Parts: sequence; structure tokens; C-alpha cells
Amino acid sequence: MRKIKIQFKLNHNDIVVETFPNRRLLDLLRDDLNLTGTKEGCGIGECGACTILINNKAVNSCLILAPEVDGKEVLTVEGLSSNGQLTTLQENFLKYGAIQCGFCTPGMVLSAHALLIKNSQPIEDEIKDAIAGNLCRCTGYKQIIEAIKATVKS
Amino acid sequence: MIPELEYKKPKTLNAALKFLNQNAKAKVLAGGTDIIPGFHIESKRFIDIKTLVDIKEIPELRKIVEKKDSIEVGAAVTFAEICEHPVIRKYVPLLADAASMLGSLQIRNRATIAGNFVNNAPCADSVPPLLVYDAKIQIQSEKRISEISLQKFLLQPYKTALKKGEIVTKIIIPKPPEDFRGLFYKLGRRRAVAISRISLALLISLENGLIKELKIGSGAVTPIGMRLYDVEKYAKGKIASRETFRELAIMLGQKVLGITGLRWSSVYKLPVIQNLFYQLLSKLVEYEKN
Repeated sequence: MRKIKIQFKLNHNDIVVETFPNRRLLDLLRDDLNLTGTKEGCGIGECGACTILINNKAVNSCLILAPEVDGKEVLTVEGLSSNGQLTTLQENFLKYGAIQCGFCTPGMVLSAHALLIKNSQPIEDEIKDAIAGNLCRCTGYKQIIEAIKATVKS
Repeated sequence: MIPELEYKKPKTLNAALKFLNQNAKAKVLAGGTDIIPGFHIESKRFIDIKTLVDIKEIPELRKIVEKKDSIEVGAAVTFAEICEHPVIRKYVPLLADAASMLGSLQIRNRATIAGNFVNNAPCADSVPPLLVYDAKIQIQSEKRISEISLQKFLLQPYKTALKKGEIVTKIIIPKPPEDFRGLFYKLGRRRAVAISRISLALLISLENGLIKELKIGSGAVTPIGMRLYDVEKYAKGKIASRETFRELAIMLGQKVLGITGLRWSSVYKLPVIQNLFYQLLSKLVEYEKN
């Protein structure tokens, strides 16, 4: 199998990588680019732990092959903060205790981030719909929804 | 494990068709939400693939077009786009409803309409609405373009009329007459990110208290999605009353049982389907009266 060259924007920076066409985006991010904020849970698109944004839309990186992001803008949890400053959404996750074991958190934050890009004033049902594809095994959904709501208000 | 493979991304439909014609072991990739996890669990459906041909950004396959009498949905339009599209919501709302209940937002942002039914899984959520709307699909190969009704396209579980070298290019949905009202119902193990256990789409039109026309599209209650023409025919001209609905519900249950045969799940599913069908019909007609 031949390696292929792909170019894309990763967390606001242009990058070029050489990888195999059967490499999942999730593995490219975690193992080749050391962005381990993106988690692997189920590996079949059900849990949302591997959620990232492609062109501002939430997607499961376990269901995407690396070459599919050629020319796209990819955002992982590492790309949210700037100069060490967390986003309001991230601060609210901390403030409202919307983290427990933390495994679902990056995906959860990115799903919420994608929602807020598209809809700055979501109602509770829209929040629930946006995070329906993210499972929290600690079942801290209430705090997570509160953290997102607080971000909407601010 | 994802097998060793090549990845191609043709820019035009013609280039994709040409490549597929010349490479028998190439398979189309669009949203990837079926094929990538399919590789992962080593599904037999995807062994022997040497090349994936990514068609998701081919412009011809990405459009929703309103024509005078129909709506044409490109094969690679995603479910997120379908849920939100004003033309879909206006003319074929059951398709928008089904799309909004499919998978999660992450899945809907990738999964495409044609990808949902080209593998002919009985749980494909787009199928019951497309069946009641009498959708046709356009198939294209390097040599020819053809049209076939979705009903005829779906041959048997996991088998369709699609041949090597062919791509589904668009779904053509005739605009239903304005007096049709409908509902789509999906039951999964939970509300979100669930495979349908039971799915059903209904369209009905009434005239002077009589059933003018009834269309029933089954999903995950029959081995493949299908129209229940016998029940539809029987309903025609009957009084739109609770007695009629009860009669139709019993008939529908018998039909479904006749098609699927007795299964371990029949004890549960049969009364659920009958009651569900009865409730959906009642709800639709009540709505009409008020």
C-alpha cells in the first residue's frame, strides 16, 4: 500500500502529512500527530468520544479515513483554547462540574461548540439533540447541559 | 481492521463512472458511516474491496432541486441537509422527520441518502417515507442512465438491483397531492442513535369522511422495506372511522406476519405494530377533523 500526501488545516494551522489511505482520522490525530484529546470509545460511531469538527460540523473521527479530510478544516479539543486561555464553554464545563472521569468531555465540548457556532441561542431540546451522539458513562448529563446553557446566557 | 486499500476521489461523475467501470473491485464511498465500521467488525459485505471511490463531493450528487412536479435529491446529500432543507420540509415532511431521527448529529453530518438504502438493510430510516412518496431512483453507469422505482430497486435483504459499475445518482420524489397527510414512526431501543426495530410511514387523504387513498410503507417490520398494497387497496373508499382502522390494523398485522413468518419477536412486535398503526391512523384523521 502506497502512502499518500494530504493537506489540511488542523487547529488553525496548515499541515501536510503522509499517511496510508486506510488510516482512520482518529488514529492519525492520536498516534501520528499526538493529539490525544480525541478519544476512542466504541470505534463504530455510537459513543461520540472521538467527535471532532470538520468545517465546523461535528463528526465521528472513527468513521472517517485520513484522506477524506484533504483540503478541510479540522478542529480538535486542543484547538479550542488560545494562548493558554480556555473558551467560556470550557470554563463552564469546569465551573458546573460537567466533567467526571473526563473521557467523554472533549467530544462533548466539541459537539456543544459546533452547536454554538451554528445557533448562538439554542433551547434545551436543541442542546440535547446536539449532544445525543455523545455518551457520558458517568451520566453527568445534567451538569453538561447546565454548562452549555450557562454559555448561551453569557 | 481496515484492509489495505487505495483511495480515489474523482472530481466529476463521469470520471467516477469510468473508474468504476474499469475496476471491478472498487466500491463507492460517500458518508462512510456504514462501510468504515463495517470494516472494523470485519463485515462480509465489505471484504474484497481494493479501492474506495469517494463520491461525496461530486457536484452533481450534492444538489436538492425543486422541479415542477417533483423534488430531486442528489445521492450524496447528507441527512443533516435533508432535515433542514425547506423544500424537503414543505413537500415531503416524512422524509425530513425520518432524517432527523437517524443516528446522531455526527452521523447525520456524514451519512447520505443513497448510502442509507443501497445496502438494503431493513432498518434504513429513509425507506418507509421514500416508499410512500413513490420515489424513483436514477442509476447511472458509464454507458447508460436508467430510472427504477425504489420498491423495485430493493430486491431482498442486503441486495438491490444495483450492478457493478453503477452509481445511484439521484432520488426523484413526485410532489404528493396537497391533501395528503402523513406520519413517520420509528421505535428503537432508545430515542437517539438507535437502529430501528420498528419503522412505518403512512400517508392518507380523506374525502367526505371516506378514505380516498392510503399509503403504507414498512421499514424494520418486514425483511425489506415495502408497500402494503393489499391493505391500501382494501382501505380505499372505506369510512374513516375507528372501526375501519381496527379492521385495517388487524389486516396489516396478518400481512406482516405472512411476510416475515413467525419469529421470536412476533409475540411482541405483532400487537405493537397493530396498535401503532391504529394510533397513527387515528391521530392523522383526528388532526384532519380539527
